[in-house]
Amino acid sequence: MAYSEFWNPKNETLPREQLQALQLLKLRRLCEWAYATTPFHQRKFDAAGFKPEQLKTLDDLRRIPFMTREEWMESLQEKPLFGDMLATDPRNAIRYHLTSGTTGRTPIRVLDSMKDWDWINEMWCYGLWGFGIRPEDSVYFAFGYGSFIGFWGAHYACEKIGALVIPGGAQTTEARIKQIIEMGVTTVCSTPTYALHMWQKAREMGIDLAKESKVNKVILSGEPAGSIPAVKQQLEEAWGAKCGDTAGMTEVGTIMIFECSHQPGGTHIIEDHYIEEVLHPTSDKPVGYGELGERVVTSFGRGFIPVLRYRTKDMVMKVPASTCTCGRTWDIYSGGIRGRWDDMKLIRGTNVYPRAVEAIIREYPAIDEFQIHIWRKEELQDEITIKLEIKPGHEGEWAELQHKLAKDLSNAHEGLRFNIERMDYGVLPHFELKARRLVDARPAVQY
Amino acid sequence: MPTTDTDLLGNTLTEQERALLNVYEALKKLAARDDLPPCADRNVRKALMSMWQATNDLDLQFEQLYDLGV
Repeated sequence: MAYSEFWNPKNETLPREQLQALQLLKLRRLCEWAYATTPFHQRKFDAAGFKPEQLKTLDDLRRIPFMTREEWMESLQEKPLFGDMLATDPRNAIRYHLTSGTTGRTPIRVLDSMKDWDWINEMWCYGLWGFGIRPEDSVYFAFGYGSFIGFWGAHYACEKIGALVIPGGAQTTEARIKQIIEMGVTTVCSTPTYALHMWQKAREMGIDLAKESKVNKVILSGEPAGSIPAVKQQLEEAWGAKCGDTAGMTEVGTIMIFECSHQPGGTHIIEDHYIEEVLHPTSDKPVGYGELGERVVTSFGRGFIPVLRYRTKDMVMKVPASTCTCGRTWDIYSGGIRGRWDDMKLIRGTNVYPRAVEAIIREYPAIDEFQIHIWRKEELQDEITIKLEIKPGHEGEWAELQHKLAKDLSNAHEGLRFNIERMDYGVLPHFELKARRLVDARPAVQY
Repeated sequence: MPTTDTDLLGNTLTEQERALLNVYEALKKLAARDDLPPCADRNVRKALMSMWQATNDLDLQFEQLYDLGV
């Protein structure tokens, strides 16, 4: 059967003038909805003197106040569990997910209704179809299926597409590799780090995935590495497959950008469902094509928690749609998400804020000094180790503290494994003024 | 059944768009009823959820459905 190359041919090739008219119409309705239903947005709109009817052109978007992660966290802390962000009765929700927060143990919690959850899957359909997933494919999810949103949306998107879905779930890497071979899997969904880990483990098992598996597509998400040329090339050679980058965030529930099968060296923005601004990180003024800036996202999807001009702190560079030969009119982030404008670190797909880690460590009076050490194991896997010194006289607490701290940190970070290492007293640098307790020893990225 | 002859951008509906919008509007009416047995009530909502995606993707509507529990 001959398929369309596009999931939604009408909008993926919509002339940009019409695309912007559609964005303006949706933006006005979303703002009206947010103002009418959501105390968080009512408060912010009123404080900024903004009214939805002021949106006459797309440039008027800049009248809308920014939304920040810090404000979101404050709202959650003042009014647990969801703050004053909800636009409708929580009883309309059918889905709950969370992501690690910026401070201490408070996560960002989100709810979705039936329609919202299906929209989340729909965005993945745009991306997966765009990279070539079809009903004939068998798609393997190397994913743990927890409260972390991860590949949940992609799983349901593949069901919607009509592909055979094979949920990897809680298995060992060896078992997953055997299943990929046994089931004749054609597509694997994984973080870049884990895709490399699977390849390495397969080699130890005497399996050459490029030759012995039927995998011809690897869908990457959760880390920027999917658009880093050297990592992509390594992965494509290892698996003997095309690797496509995607990026999403729990705050909007799904992906905003995806690499199409033409592999233009970046990711198309799903512009009929989002407005993606790129702003100078300090002046807040829009930057032009080819300039680095901060991603600011407005989502037309999840109405349960309206997201308007959300400052992501993601570092991106927008280039015109014509950079790609696929025919989409949607602009591209060259190199995908290139990094961060703040101190957030991405470890195996999980957001880690050093200040959140510190807040948990400071709950342990026996700990004196500490260092957050991020490093790469065997050039493949990112690791996070907390190096710490125990206060003199508290040495007896170490054994219990080691396990409890690792568990507390993991619980606050979507189950991410933290290594805990005790250092001799006085080995770590002790600070009097501005502390520098974060050491990111991973190699610098080359685009 | 659609109350409009155009999509959100003012383009005249195609025959297939009109058919899709008819199904969507019919499902909304069914979802608003309170006399359906659970097997119909919940599956109508699942169907409406899906048709919302198709009609929203094609710029035929942009609205919320929380008052229908969807």
